[in-house]
Amino acid sequence: MGMNSLFDSYLVVLPILIPLTGAMVALLLRRQPRVQAGWALGTMVTSLAASTWLLLVVARSGQAQVLQSGGWAAPFGITLVGDMLAAVFVVMTQLVMVCGLWYAIGSKDKVVTYPTFFTLFLTLATGLTGAFLTGDLFNMYVFAELLVISGTVLTAVSDDRFGTEAAQKYFYISLLASFFMLLSVGSLYAGYGTLNMADLSVRIGADGTQLLLWPAIAFLFATFMIKSAVFPFHFWQPDFHTAAPTAVSAMLSSVVVKLGVYGFLRMTTLLFVAQSGPLRAILLVLGVIGVIFGGLSAIGTHNVKRMLAYSTLAQVGFILVAIAWGTPLALGTAVVFSFNHSVIKAAMLMLAGYVASHASVKSASFAVVTGVGRRLPLAGAFFFVGSLALAGIPPTNGFVSKMMLFSSGLGAQGYWALLTIGLASLFTLLYTMRAFQRIWWMQPGGGITTKASGDVLWAPGLLMVLIVLLGVWAEPLVQVAMQTSTWLGDPQLYIRAVLGG
Amino acid sequence: MEILASLTVGLLFAIGVYQLLRRNVIRSVIGLVILANAVNLFLLSTGAYASDAAAYTTAAGTRSDALPQALILTAIVISMGGTAFVLAMLYVVSARYKTADLDELDGLKN
Repeated sequence: MGMNSLFDSYLVVLPILIPLTGAMVALLLRRQPRVQAGWALGTMVTSLAASTWLLLVVARSGQAQVLQSGGWAAPFGITLVGDMLAAVFVVMTQLVMVCGLWYAIGSKDKVVTYPTFFTLFLTLATGLTGAFLTGDLFNMYVFAELLVISGTVLTAVSDDRFGTEAAQKYFYISLLASFFMLLSVGSLYAGYGTLNMADLSVRIGADGTQLLLWPAIAFLFATFMIKSAVFPFHFWQPDFHTAAPTAVSAMLSSVVVKLGVYGFLRMTTLLFVAQSGPLRAILLVLGVIGVIFGGLSAIGTHNVKRMLAYSTLAQVGFILVAIAWGTPLALGTAVVFSFNHSVIKAAMLMLAGYVASHASVKSASFAVVTGVGRRLPLAGAFFFVGSLALAGIPPTNGFVSKMMLFSSGLGAQGYWALLTIGLASLFTLLYTMRAFQRIWWMQPGGGITTKASGDVLWAPGLLMVLIVLLGVWAEPLVQVAMQTSTWLGDPQLYIRAVLGG
Repeated sequence: MEILASLTVGLLFAIGVYQLLRRNVIRSVIGLVILANAVNLFLLSTGAYASDAAAYTTAAGTRSDALPQALILTAIVISMGGTAFVLAMLYVVSARYKTADLDELDGLKN
């Protein structure tokens, strides 16, 4: 085995290993906050480089990068699988996480000065990345727990006085999600004697009559509904995402909710292919409800961060509808939409936090931030572009996602769903423009002044560049997504990569 | 043995869900702990199809699958951490609101 191939076979573990190691070292650096912050950012950038490399290797070679940990051949050991879907989602996650860390470093939040903040941020990245890259269902549960606990702690210590309460609410529902996932794991293991996802796919394909198969599907479906805050399991999400520190909520509302999206994609295209019909039907209904409900709720809020949290509900709804249509173009759309939404939503939440940090009281409520933006023109320009992106207007990446969604809807002949979500997407423009108008146009009420110092605008600026860049030069992302969609259309590619033969 | 395990799992679930829905914070945490144990017992019963045989024996003969026990071990460790964390959070929240009634921890409503 040459040096190059030895390195290649371990490439898939690097995006997990780098942030995990970085988190431990960051713990040792807790007495030097500046060094620690720099270290965390450096770690995340290195990890992003590794995951981008992984994506390039997978896309170029057309081969999934697989690591049988401990040398145990699948399905006996834990397998790490970097296929196209996992690689794209990992790059998306780590790209947004780099911006999140960058924002945190320039943030005036007190929570950022706590000795374990950066450690927890890195373990959050580790958990999410691991959940995407693992090929074993139980291992996914373990990584999801790491993610949940890191995210909850980061919110519980938030500057927002309701942080702990929101975190507690989230943790309860997350523990239930973990129980659901374990029940699903147990049911599948009782029926099929394996937890390796490729092996499960083969066995379920061969025998779909096991007694516990449908309970397992239902529990796993519920788990991912909670992870992605899909209606009716959404109630914790606006509280949790509003109360979290800005840098953290920008991660939670963008990449962390994509874990459920990833789960649904894996469920319908790998694990339960023969059973995916009813699942897609449910996803379609849930997606449409999410789009309408999320949009309407976002209009009714009186807090910018909360508005954006509800907007996530609607945007995830669009992605679920694409997964439900399930045509090759629609699956590609789901990937593009996920990527673009992560970038947009992270940027928007950072801008909301930026404005809040310049308000007299640190709050994103409209009562406090009205007129605060009048002295922050650059943030206003960014917010305006972000609003266009969220609503799907060119020249932004949101337009690309929406256009792909509409053409895949026409292709899949999902006219009713298309019409409904088309109309409901007008809500997006309504609520973002209302927020823009209140913060940047309206005269501030008595006694409201803009503080000269606040958070730093670099990270959302970088995301803005990405929004426009992915809008005018969408080809690479769309190509990668369509290649992913080919993989999703043929589960044998994943299965062969893991089990060989 | 399987019947007994199934009935116990069902009973634990019923108790766990009932306690979880109580308004007292401590009772709700107890509910979570009972639910965690119900899930663990369920996992155990998926691997105990060789009846009550041990997971590993050197002597020839029937043995149970050891994997569910490894899964449970992991799940126990995680849920222990989770329980400790939930208790810590509830302590902070109920000290702030000076109540142990979940319905009165409603600062987010306003």
